[in-house]
Amino acid sequence: MRSLLLLLIVYIVGAADESFVLNAHIRMIPKIMALDTRLSSKPPSFKATLAIVYDSNQKNAAFSIAEQINKVHNGKVSNLAFSATAYSFDELVERRDIAFIYIVPRCNSQLVKKVAAWGIVHSVPTFSYDVTDLEYGILGSIAIERSTVVYINKNTLKEGKFRFNDILFQIARIIE
Amino acid sequence: MNRFKNARLSTKLFATLIFTTSIIFITITMVTFLIVRDLTINVQKEKASLLIDTVKPAVSLALFLGITDIGEKVSTVTQQKEVIRLEIADQNGNVILDYQPYSAFSPYDMIKVSKTLIEPSSLKPIGLITLTYSGEEFSKTMDHFYTLYGWVLLSIFAILWIMLIWINYLLLPIKLIANKVRNFKPGEKIIFDIPYAQAEFIQIVHAFETMQERVLEYSTEIETINKNLEIQITEQTHEAIRHLYYDNLTALPNRLKLQEDLLIKPINTVALLNIDDFKEINDFFGIDAGDWLLTQIAHWLSEMKLSPYRLGGDEFAFRLSEELSPLEIRHDIEILLSLLNEKLFMIAEETVHIRATVGIAIKSDKPLIHADVALNKARSIKQPYSVYDQSEGIEQRYQANIAMSAQIRQALIEHRIVCQYQPIISCNSGKIEKFETLVRIKNEDGTLVAPNDFLPISQKTKLYHHITQEVVYQACHLFATRHEHFSINLSGSDMSDSRTVSTIENILRQTGTANRVIFEILESEGIENFDEVASFIARMKALGAKIAIDDFGTGYSNFENILKLNVDILKIDGSLIRSIDENPRHRIVVEAIVDFAQRIGIDTVAEFVSSEEILRNVTDMGVTYAQGFYTGKPLFLNPQLM
Repeated sequence: MRSLLLLLIVYIVGAADESFVLNAHIRMIPKIMALDTRLSSKPPSFKATLAIVYDSNQKNAAFSIAEQINKVHNGKVSNLAFSATAYSFDELVERRDIAFIYIVPRCNSQLVKKVAAWGIVHSVPTFSYDVTDLEYGILGSIAIERSTVVYINKNTLKEGKFRFNDILFQIARIIE
Repeated sequence: MNRFKNARLSTKLFATLIFTTSIIFITITMVTFLIVRDLTINVQKEKASLLIDTVKPAVSLALFLGITDIGEKVSTVTQQKEVIRLEIADQNGNVILDYQPYSAFSPYDMIKVSKTLIEPSSLKPIGLITLTYSGEEFSKTMDHFYTLYGWVLLSIFAILWIMLIWINYLLLPIKLIANKVRNFKPGEKIIFDIPYAQAEFIQIVHAFETMQERVLEYSTEIETINKNLEIQITEQTHEAIRHLYYDNLTALPNRLKLQEDLLIKPINTVALLNIDDFKEINDFFGIDAGDWLLTQIAHWLSEMKLSPYRLGGDEFAFRLSEELSPLEIRHDIEILLSLLNEKLFMIAEETVHIRATVGIAIKSDKPLIHADVALNKARSIKQPYSVYDQSEGIEQRYQANIAMSAQIRQALIEHRIVCQYQPIISCNSGKIEKFETLVRIKNEDGTLVAPNDFLPISQKTKLYHHITQEVVYQACHLFATRHEHFSINLSGSDMSDSRTVSTIENILRQTGTANRVIFEILESEGIENFDEVASFIARMKALGAKIAIDDFGTGYSNFENILKLNVDILKIDGSLIRSIDENPRHRIVVEAIVDFAQRIGIDTVAEFVSSEEILRNVTDMGVTYAQGFYTGKPLFLNPQLM
């Protein structure tokens, strides 16, 4: 019983923590996308697409996240108009208008690797809920530690030839 | 302002120095203060700004990303000990971070710098970062500045003080020179022993020395000139005194000296000696000889130990001792005159006897006047000398003459010279045919002054002509309205005075009485001034007037002159007529005059006809007209005076 209770508590705490981080990501991911200097040079009519990528188990969560992002930011961050849409990997590779990719929590590592590789090839920044995903070539993630930390994968940054506002690199923690 | 103008040179220099230095110092201090203050503040601000700039992008991004825990990102700022406060607020003013490591109260001025946080992508403002930076460094810098300038100010005052001493020291020679020059007196030499001197003071000293030499030269010259002037003034003063008090001709003291000498004592005894007939000597021998004679007389009087004075002309004076009695004085004067008579004076190798008349005032308070009175008296009584006697009243007579002169003058001014007219009747018809004008002075009380009382005096005081002109005016204007003839008496001086003659002519022309006027003149006037009298007679006859000789028969009557003067009437003197019935000689003279007049065809007038018997006698003798108290007394014909 105690074990069950403990597990329940752990689950609740973990769920609460995930929700807290996810909310932070929902607020911050579009803004990081806006720091992409290639997007800022687009015409005002340009509308970026923020892809919320999921695997088969996380489709609802992805749609929920996309919906929350659109709701929170109301389709615009800074001067950039955007739309968050949930895509599976297959759908993703079909698209050509993807400006930024966010991988929802708890996706399997294979998917993560594929998305990271696709992002590098197509020079689309990829951010993931889980910081450990950076090991698979994901460009960045946001961790809530003692303070909020933006992690950037240095290798992916180089390989994908991404262009972000320099300020981002002043607060981001660059890791290899 | 005037006080500054009159201030000492050193004070002025020092004041100017202080003023200039103060202006420069204040200006430099103010400029430097502003520069240092602004520079320091700007540096501090710049520092603060730099600090903000170091964290601003991260903060901006964190704010953009919604990261609120940005304490770590601003640690580079907050680690600075000068940071007093760091405040980060979002666009809505919500404070994201408020870092205050110390108390808000700082002993130093604080510098606050704010910057707007910009959204990295859109560059829109998203917040404000405000850094409050410590002003400690600024305050310290300014304190250093004040300390430094305090020392500079102190140094400047020290320098100024030293300069004041230096200026006084530099100008000390001026004081020394001024003190020397202040006590300078012409004739003295100043030695300018100045311990040190600049070139300017040496020039001043040289200038003063040159001036001194010139002053010395000039003062020597002036002194010489002054001495010469003093000598000349002394000589001229002596000369002036000599001229003033001494007679040039005889070198005797003059009247002024005598008057001053007489003032020494209140009572003096003085004798005036006048040379008789000296005019004749002058006329005969000439003025130079006359002067020579006067010199000899002066010398003789000096030899007589009389200490004589020359009063002018031929008049000398000498003082006599008051101790002498009148008798002794008379005796001495008689001896003096006797000696003078015996003395022979030489003029051009000719011997001349001199006689003199002396007037003496014994113990008199007005010795000169009294001696003069006595001299006149002696002359009038033809005595060699006379002593002034107050009881004779001569002086009172003089006073009366002066009073009469004033009275005449006043009468002329106030028109109180009036005329009475005495009738002259025809001996044949017994009718009044003529009047003789007789002048009077009418006193203010209405009494009349007879002509004998004022005419002699008027002749001596030059008022006679005015009286004559007044008489002619009144008579002519009166008889202009009548038909009778009238006569007016004229003196010799009247006929000689051209102004009087012109006035008479004008009056005759204006009144139209020329053919009825008869001018009576004395025979003696015709003898003494024949030419002038003849000229007057000719001018009056030319106008139609007639001429009568008054008082004819007395003195040395000259029938030839009567003929020459072409007179119309002879008025026989009253002294002959008055006793004609008693004195056969007078009767003979009158008969001779009447005979002469009848022979030359002129009329005669008998004066002083005071009785019927005299009238009958003169009528019997053939005298044409008679005038006297019997035939008619003088009366006023002017209705206003009747």
